[in-house]
Amino acid sequence: MRRIALYGKGGIGKSTVASNITVSLSKKGYRVLQIGCDPKADSTKLLLGGASNMTILDAMKNGRPVHDAISRGSEGCYCAECGGPRPGSGCAGRGIIAAFEQLEKNNIIETISPDVLIYDVLGDVVCGGFAMPIRNGYAKDVFIVSSGEMMSLYAANNIATAISDLKDVGYATLRGMIQNSRGIDEEDSIVDKAVLEIGTTVVKRIPRERTVQQCEAIGKTVVEGAPDSQLSKIYAGLAEAILGLSSDDEGGMRIV
Amino acid sequence: MNIHPRPNPIIAALYMLRDIDVDVVIIHGPSGCGFMASRMIEDAGIRVMTTAMNDDDLIFGASGKLEDALREAERRFSPRSIAVIGTCSSMIIGEDMEASIRRSGVGCRTVSVDCHGCMGNNTAGAIMAVEASAKAGLIPKEEADRQKYLLSMATQMEKERGMASVQYLQPSNGPTKMGVAKKIIGCLSNNGKLAVVSISKKELAYRFSDLFLAVDQACKELGGKAVYIANLDPQKGLPRIRGYAADILSELSAKGISADIVGGLDEYAVIGEDMKEAVDRHSPDLIVIAGIPHAYPDLDKSQILITDQPRQLSNYLSKGYDAVGEISSHQMVMNVRKIVPTETGDTIREMLRDIS
Repeated sequence: MRRIALYGKGGIGKSTVASNITVSLSKKGYRVLQIGCDPKADSTKLLLGGASNMTILDAMKNGRPVHDAISRGSEGCYCAECGGPRPGSGCAGRGIIAAFEQLEKNNIIETISPDVLIYDVLGDVVCGGFAMPIRNGYAKDVFIVSSGEMMSLYAANNIATAISDLKDVGYATLRGMIQNSRGIDEEDSIVDKAVLEIGTTVVKRIPRERTVQQCEAIGKTVVEGAPDSQLSKIYAGLAEAILGLSSDDEGGMRIV
Repeated sequence: MNIHPRPNPIIAALYMLRDIDVDVVIIHGPSGCGFMASRMIEDAGIRVMTTAMNDDDLIFGASGKLEDALREAERRFSPRSIAVIGTCSSMIIGEDMEASIRRSGVGCRTVSVDCHGCMGNNTAGAIMAVEASAKAGLIPKEEADRQKYLLSMATQMEKERGMASVQYLQPSNGPTKMGVAKKIIGCLSNNGKLAVVSISKKELAYRFSDLFLAVDQACKELGGKAVYIANLDPQKGLPRIRGYAADILSELSAKGISADIVGGLDEYAVIGEDMKEAVDRHSPDLIVIAGIPHAYPDLDKSQILITDQPRQLSNYLSKGYDAVGEISSHQMVMNVRKIVPTETGDTIREMLRDIS
């Protein structure tokens, strides 16, 4: 099983990128489970035709089996959302930790037995809870999604620092940056400069195209909504690249 | 930094609210938080409830549970006042306890103390409780200011000379009381003059005052002279604390014992110099200091020190003082109105029986 985490600044397009990777790999016959780690619980929306399902934390709170929070989406992929509190109350970070505990306790990963597990993680590393995927042996290979905008690269740098700080106790390694372009001037060279400073490389550049919004409007990923588009091919290439950069290890949800 | 277990701000707030005579305390946190201390506080007649926070509440918040607990407290106990105190769990997730109190619609006086375990000094929690109680009109502002001063002085004393002055102390039960009892009896048998000092913290005076009773008996049977000095001013402090002093004074007086009074039972941290002056006026041959001996200035190794704290005892013993521990005193005095016998006192009494 490959254990992959996508991190990046909020609103940068992580969920879109993750969902397109998930569908691309599913189309090729891989069993993929995408886990949204954001209290907004909207990571897998495009995989479910725009619908939203019960979250892991809602299941836990309402005494329902955690299995009920796992749904099947596009191309048979598996979808789960950690969920979390309403804005302004409780602790979202604690929510991520508790959701992971629930997944482990109920052997969800063993039951689904995916080939690829993708964690789609909220924004910056805001607290310990959001660092969970890169701690304790959950994710092994981390990719940062960023545009060439300053705030996005700033967040990318923070995330890279968090991964590097946890290197001695953790398990995750930064494998590269996915450039989700915003169409700003000199974007490629700005990103190239940034990855050099961070000490990583660009895995793939995704151009800014209206196709993404057009597909999202009909509740679909580009891979499904515009399968013959150039962009769809780029996502397929990205999915391939991620497989090539990540390692395939035995075991359950965590490698300890 | 201290790495031995130390009292925390949540518990300090709880005790201070007991001193203020709040009727009900609701601990907004897991049901086990402050459990041992809560049981002690309940022995002192205060109702304690918790919001029994669980993992769901950590994630989603527990303001609804707190509202329910407030209404339940009012329904069950018809209290004049309810205090809500925070814990690590509720405060880390930023619970708005004031808002829950408002939404609960309870009619009695309410106090909200936003304390948690990671505030540093334990007295920080007590100070918050004092401020919140003054704001709620439960205590006058002057008394609140006085309490805050005394608490800050107690913290300073602990940092300079108490358990907060050493990085790690291993608790000790110390030696038996035979050695100090022999010294006391020896002093009186040789017609010497003994000064017994109780510089006690609040309810602990119910225990340490037993030394007055035991020494008085020894003095009557063996001769010699004994003088008693105590922080038992019944006109100082919150009504509950004044009541402790009044109880003890009337028991002493019923047994014909009179003591020099220096300060109130909450003033232990600021009256050391005055105590010493009062003691020195008698020019005693031997001094016994019970309660919080390190509140007494310029301790020396000829004195006998008696504490209730196993770590404090080990602190004294490591410095070479002649010290014994009346361990577990605190739980013995939470629900009493009379003086409770000490092991030191009982050892003296037993030796007196042997002598006669």
